[in-house]
Amino acid sequence: MALTITCPVCGKRNGYEFKYGGEEKGPRPEEKDLNPQAWCEYVHMNKCVAGVQEEWWFHKDGCGSWFTILRDTTTNLEQEKKEAKK
Amino acid sequence: MKDIKRVSPVVLKSTPVKTENRNNWEIVMGYKGEGDGPYLIDLTHKQRFDYQDSNLGGQKPFNINIPEIPGNSVLDKKILMNRMNNTQASIYNFGKEDIAMPEDSGFTDVTEATLFVALVGKNIFSICEKLTSLDFLNPEKKAPFLFQGPFSHVPCQIVTLSKNLENHGLVLTCSRGYGRDMIHAILDAGKEFGLKPAGEERFNHFVSEL
Repeated sequence: MALTITCPVCGKRNGYEFKYGGEEKGPRPEEKDLNPQAWCEYVHMNKCVAGVQEEWWFHKDGCGSWFTILRDTTTNLEQEKKEAKK
Repeated sequence: MKDIKRVSPVVLKSTPVKTENRNNWEIVMGYKGEGDGPYLIDLTHKQRFDYQDSNLGGQKPFNINIPEIPGNSVLDKKILMNRMNNTQASIYNFGKEDIAMPEDSGFTDVTEATLFVALVGKNIFSICEKLTSLDFLNPEKKAPFLFQGPFSHVPCQIVTLSKNLENHGLVLTCSRGYGRDMIHAILDAGKEFGLKPAGEERFNHFVSEL
């Protein structure tokens, strides 16, 4: 199934122009009181949602932007997202 | 002390009939049997700068306003200004004379780090269609405009200068190391359309008519 991704700078492009950057997991945890287990969970553990998830992409063959999109992992189709249009 | 010699990564097999030496570049102004187009023109000797600033909108390098929207370009006084993203712009000097790079640390001279060629004449967009999925004839885009994307699988900056049927033209830049293979791919794709190498004079004439 062909994946298209909407880059906030270049617009809708072929998915092959992009590199996947992982699930969006929120801000990096505060270093104060951070234990190895919490850090390990933040870095390595994923939700692997069967459905719509927010994820990071890098436009490697284009403008070089990092941005997030919503993608339905069951259909491999991008979903509308207000933030992606900024 | 001997002068330095600046060499383009582009090697074309045609026979030059007129050359010029400018700023230590040996520039071919015209080739034998150029025909009536389309043309592939090596412009690697033309100056190019990258400009980076967190407040790009407020800057006016070379007295030219940087376009506000990424992907837009403006051609003024033979200087092409392309907005790449929120913080970066690329600048191409189409003039014969070099311009002094501003002292601002946000400027980088990338002339010798990149390949720079022009495709001018009929059917150039048909040639491009064989090498990229980018839509140069998108009616929503008004020339000049910038595309950043893969061309022959290589990340490039491509500026469409004219979509006018009588006067098609675009310029393309990518990392210098891809030079030889990029030229090979373009000439191979352009074979069926009669694409031939041409000298700088063709490009100067094309720009003067924009």
